[in-house]
Amino acid sequence: MLRRAIAFVATLGIGVATYITIADSGGGAPTCLAGGGGCQTVADSSYSHIAGVNIAVFGIVGYVLLLATAFFVTDWARFGGFAVSLGGFGFSIYLTYLEIWKIEAICQWCVASAVLMTILFLLNATRLIGYAGTTDGTGTVPERA
Amino acid sequence: MSNKREREKRREERIAAEAKVETGDRRTRILQVAAGAAFLAVVIVVVVIVAASSGGDSGGDATKIEHGAEVDRLLSGVPQSELELGQKSAPVELIEFGDLQCPICKANSEEVLPDLIQNKIRTGDAKLVFRNFTIISEESIPAGAAAIAAGKQGRGYNFIETFYRNQGEERSGYVTDEFMEAVAKAAGVKNLAQWNKDRKSPEVLKEVETTTAEASSKYGFTGTPSFLIKGPSSNGYEIFQNTEGAGAFEEAIDKAS
Repeated sequence: MLRRAIAFVATLGIGVATYITIADSGGGAPTCLAGGGGCQTVADSSYSHIAGVNIAVFGIVGYVLLLATAFFVTDWARFGGFAVSLGGFGFSIYLTYLEIWKIEAICQWCVASAVLMTILFLLNATRLIGYAGTTDGTGTVPERA
Repeated sequence: MSNKREREKRREERIAAEAKVETGDRRTRILQVAAGAAFLAVVIVVVVIVAASSGGDSGGDATKIEHGAEVDRLLSGVPQSELELGQKSAPVELIEFGDLQCPICKANSEEVLPDLIQNKIRTGDAKLVFRNFTIISEESIPAGAAAIAAGKQGRGYNFIETFYRNQGEERSGYVTDEFMEAVAKAAGVKNLAQWNKDRKSPEVLKEVETTTAEASSKYGFTGTPSFLIKGPSSNGYEIFQNTEGAGAFEEAIDKAS
């Protein structure tokens, strides 16, 4: 159940990050659903790229890794999922700080991604705490999809 | 026979017990590492945010252009044309001769201008005009030209105000193409190709030179910012020296009206 939830939320994350990346390519910006110029302001800010790469691309990489961990029932996959989602969660906090205090604009798509990453962190932490050390070979509680 | 079975049973129990201990050990190790990683992540996030908060005021960094949205809010709804802010029909004209590298101009822009815009420009009582008076260094010339080019796209004051809010140390070499382009983007200049073309055009560069010469030779100004004011009650353009903040500007505008 947890692995299914992780796979589902990670897939949503890939969708959101891909949309931001595509919308940004060619100098554009994601469209804020409720109007306003928040998405444009955030996309135009100097914080939207790291070494010339849109930060949403890093988001895609993170979500793909998280999706991959959901397909494996090993401690490596559980710990990997936890570590990647922890990094993503921390980065989301920093990006939200930048939006509020530095860029002074909010982009709904970035907020959506931050919420998805927070959910993934909670799911992966729950998975790790619940199933760490319970690989199939030991004969203890097996983790189901 | 029964002894053998018993021995096998005990062996299985021992193996199961050992496996359980091993599993428990591994679980403990994994959770300890995870807790350590979580602690480390918290420390990193806090340090990065604290560093970003305390190091954000140095200015002149093309990769950290800020306050574009703040400037946008400040100027929202106020008409702009070229480097003129306010309604064209406003009875009083206040001209600032400034240098984008000038720290006093920056202070004036941040501390005085917001109230002046709110109380006199937005209301249609006065309009504000920026003219380049490039006295600090050669770098001020391309900066002034970039402001004029932004003005051609209706974002002149956004550019000036955003530049001031991200200003670096004068003559430090921070006024690069990269810096100005980042300011232009934050100021909402839409057509960057056209802006790049305009800011390098001989006409625009000539305009910077002309207003600089005019400030010193025609009005005798020696520093920035320097101001002229003209209204129905003034005797043409009058030199206005202000060191008293927005209140003095407002009084001078009332007097000239």
